[in-house]
Amino acid sequence: MAVLRPAPRRPLRLQLRRIGWRLAGLGILCAAGARDLPAEGAPAGEYQIKAVFVYNFAHFVQWPPAALPAGAAPLVIGVLGTDPFGPYLDEAVRGEKIDGHPLAVQRFRRIEDVRDCQILFISQSENDRLDRILADLKGRSILTVSEAAGFGDRGGMIGLVTVDHKVRLKINVGAARAATLTISSKLLRPAEIVTTGKD
Amino acid sequence: MDFNNMPVQRKLMAIILVVSGAVCLLVCATLLTYDYQTFRFNTRQGLTTLGQIIATNSTAALAFQNQDDAREILTALKAERHIVSAALYDGQGRLFAKYPISRPDSSFPAHPDVDGYGFADVHLVGYEPVVIEGRRLGTLYLESDMQALYGRLRVYAGLLAVLIVLCFTLAFALSSVLQRGISRPILALAETAGIVSRGDYSVRAIKMGGGEAGLLTDAFNHMLEEIQKLNEELEQRVVKRTSQLQAVNKELEAFSYSVSHDLRAPLRHIDGFAQLLQRHLDPSLDDTGRRYLATIADSAKRLGRLIDELLVFSRMGRAEIRHSLVPLGPMVAGVVRDLLPETADRQIDWAIRDLPSVYGDPAMLRQVWTNLLSNAVKYSRRRTVARIEIAHRPDPADGHVFSIRDNGAGFDMQYVDKLFGVFQRLHNAAEFEGTGIGLANVQRIVLRHGGRVWAEGRPDEGATFYFTVPDSGPPVDHPAESLLAVSS
Repeated sequence: MAVLRPAPRRPLRLQLRRIGWRLAGLGILCAAGARDLPAEGAPAGEYQIKAVFVYNFAHFVQWPPAALPAGAAPLVIGVLGTDPFGPYLDEAVRGEKIDGHPLAVQRFRRIEDVRDCQILFISQSENDRLDRILADLKGRSILTVSEAAGFGDRGGMIGLVTVDHKVRLKINVGAARAATLTISSKLLRPAEIVTTGKD
Repeated sequence: MDFNNMPVQRKLMAIILVVSGAVCLLVCATLLTYDYQTFRFNTRQGLTTLGQIIATNSTAALAFQNQDDAREILTALKAERHIVSAALYDGQGRLFAKYPISRPDSSFPAHPDVDGYGFADVHLVGYEPVVIEGRRLGTLYLESDMQALYGRLRVYAGLLAVLIVLCFTLAFALSSVLQRGISRPILALAETAGIVSRGDYSVRAIKMGGGEAGLLTDAFNHMLEEIQKLNEELEQRVVKRTSQLQAVNKELEAFSYSVSHDLRAPLRHIDGFAQLLQRHLDPSLDDTGRRYLATIADSAKRLGRLIDELLVFSRMGRAEIRHSLVPLGPMVAGVVRDLLPETADRQIDWAIRDLPSVYGDPAMLRQVWTNLLSNAVKYSRRRTVARIEIAHRPDPADGHVFSIRDNGAGFDMQYVDKLFGVFQRLHNAAEFEGTGIGLANVQRIVLRHGGRVWAEGRPDEGATFYFTVPDSGPPVDHPAESLLAVSS
């Protein structure tokens, strides 16, 4: 966590920072506005949010050292099946770093293609093969994320559920623990906890 | 009250109270300032820590845009009484969650300000960044009221007020006891000095302890002893000298009186036998013999007059003054009449103004007028028309001032000092006969009446004699002894 200091009381710098802050805000708003166009029939902005969520998971999950890439190799977010994010996921991770690792997005057609990967988003296109995929990933320290209904209950780790136009999390802590992943209690706060076999 | 004129006790108390009050105030002000600053700093630190904790806890809520969770986190601030409001802003600076929920959005800042904590009006306001691994998720806003600070300051100020009152009371009590050590010796000295200044040298200041006050008391007492000794010696010496002087004076007067008396008898014999001799030898005497005998008789007469006047002079010194109101008009008229035998064959222009009545001895005052007027007649003898003016004017200082002016021989002002001395004469006996006692007698009488006498004159242009008689009722008799010193 960053060390917090009271803002320096230098009027010029303060002004510049304030202006910078406002400009940044404006830019983001403009960018968001540009991306509000419907993508593949999905609700406006939904996948933009979900892309950020998927990226954010990296902050709240701890992988065993062996599961992390060596040195400065990128931490990989994989998308299995049809990618619903468009450019959003790439945009979300661009320039970001987790524990000194840059982030990279890889897209996989089949579960067999999944190799070194820390977070795996399983697309709706794979819903039919979900049980097999999850069984395949068993024993590997990969955080599984999916929009599929009852994902957690089927042994997935984090399910993204849309309730009242808001994206909510359902987390199967047991599944994560079985994969030797530690989910931060902070992440559990805004999430709903589920266990395997129940929904 | 002027500090410089305060009694020493009050001065000491005032100094002690002012000094202790000033020290007390300074200490209190310093403590208060220090505590105020410390408490402000601590309050700020406390809010900073709280902000950091809340911000850390809010990362997931902001990262996964869960407003319910964010609200829940902020609601935990209920435990902190001094947090008035709190809010979370998302990455775009939009209000994301607020506490208390009932507060309208408009009462929160529209956008988060620059990160940091600061005092604004009566509130402490802070903006804490919500950051995860260097990525900014949003901003936490906290607003704390300063009730704790002001409450604490109130208690503090009350305590200080009590402290100052206690301090003053204690300082007053202690100083009123302790200042005595300094003020008592000084007061005792002052009291003794007061008694001494009224003429009593027998008192001594009581010594209280050592130090400068003790030294001062000792020195003062020593000085008093010296003064007392000197004073006694002086008094004794004065008494001794006075009695010596009195004895000598008495002796002298007795001597001159007896001498005068004893001189008169043989003188009368000389005069008488000279006349008998003249009568007896008259037919056989030639002119030369007759002139010799006349000279003998004249000289004897002159000596007789001299002795008479000396007797009067010595009597004037000793005689008591019998005061009564004397009308000077009739007295001066009488004296002028008595002078008729000498003035009958002369032309004298008398100018006598109205004269008042004064208090004095009638016989003595008559002596003064007789002497001064006969002098005026005598020294104006050479004038074909003599003019003698007698005038009077009241004077605020001297009472009555009388003047006798003549147009006679006058005198040189450089000898004016000798005019009133016994046997001092400015003209020789061949020119103007006289004994040299008359003016000395005048001075003696005037001085004994409490007045003064002086003269002005120029050679050949006449003289003016002045004398004064006090106006203020019967004066005290001035003893002869004191006059001796003046006239000698």
